[in-house]
Amino acid sequence: MSKSAPESTSEAIFDPRVLPDYGWYESGQSALSGSLLELYRRIDNMFLKWASECQAAEFFFPTFISARELAKLDYFRSFPHLVTFPASLDAADDNLKRFTEGTPLDQEGGVHLTALDPVRNVLTPAACYHFYILFQGQALAEPRYVTTRATCFRRETHYLPLQRQWNFSMREIVCIGNSDEVKAFLGRYTEKVQAFFERIHLPVNWVNATDPFFNPSKNPKFLAQRLDPVKTEMVFRTGLAIGSVNFHRNYFGEAFQIQRQEQEAFSGCVAFGIERWIFAFLNEFGPDQKQWPDLNTF
Amino acid sequence: MKTESEIRQTLREWIVRTSGKIRAEELDDDTPIIERRIISSLQLTDLILMLERLSDSPIDIEMLKPGVFRDINTIYRNFFEPARA
Repeated sequence: MSKSAPESTSEAIFDPRVLPDYGWYESGQSALSGSLLELYRRIDNMFLKWASECQAAEFFFPTFISARELAKLDYFRSFPHLVTFPASLDAADDNLKRFTEGTPLDQEGGVHLTALDPVRNVLTPAACYHFYILFQGQALAEPRYVTTRATCFRRETHYLPLQRQWNFSMREIVCIGNSDEVKAFLGRYTEKVQAFFERIHLPVNWVNATDPFFNPSKNPKFLAQRLDPVKTEMVFRTGLAIGSVNFHRNYFGEAFQIQRQEQEAFSGCVAFGIERWIFAFLNEFGPDQKQWPDLNTF
Repeated sequence: MKTESEIRQTLREWIVRTSGKIRAEELDDDTPIIERRIISSLQLTDLILMLERLSDSPIDIEMLKPGVFRDINTIYRNFFEPARA
């Protein structure tokens, strides 16, 4: 659930496209192999190890989220500029025939679509949404600690290798409980992550931020986040947010009727953008993997 | 000019009436109304309008600092205390 500060910086930025283990697609996607794929796995394994410290149960979720569920969060009014929909052709014979008999692509590579099936799903925009939907209507006898890694999709105005992608990997560690349980969880992980940054000498500042709302000046949720900050980003020295700590208050508990001690549950998450961590490592420690910190010790 | 206790009472009644989530006896002057979402983000705009009327002075939203609406104590300190510029 993280939004980055502008990437502009006077310092030279390492371009991963020079590496043989890296592939970039202009559509805003990355391919990793060799040392970079190993780094991806090591970073995520470290997050998983951190998640195990609160006995977080790991989940694997599908790529789609029901649009009906997402609408409960007012998502389509708040983030229409980010959303990506899976679309498929209306399966009626005459429609498919029209499609096959037409020109499939225009000169820019755009598909000439005929009639579409109704769009009822969205490609996952944030990993932790899946949990609130899955747990909806439940009364929690104790706080729940959970984790997942999801490929998240956010359409942007422009894309940059590893920094700003249409789809990217997000690992989240989530707590759903009462207010004190969630605050203690977020405090514990903020300290943990900060201690990690200090030990490996990764220059990261913690900065209050807001979610990237559409038309923010007209959105009361933006005003509320500004006046009562609930998101703190881990901002790497180039200005790129590589993760965030988020206190949702009881927003998801209310939207999905999750109860804790007979009240709407509170929730919070620690989120890490894995490609952005790779970007930070390449920029801080260079492309030679021998220079990278040994993540097995954290 | 309303007294401090009248202002606090007006704030308390407005919050209880607007929220619908809390009873008057549950709302203290240090109850965090935004954090507990007793006042929702949609109601925040109404709160600002109400404070403008009650204090008889305009509020510049751009100038508002984080935490100014935390609870009744904070709201009173920020918008009604005589020292307010």
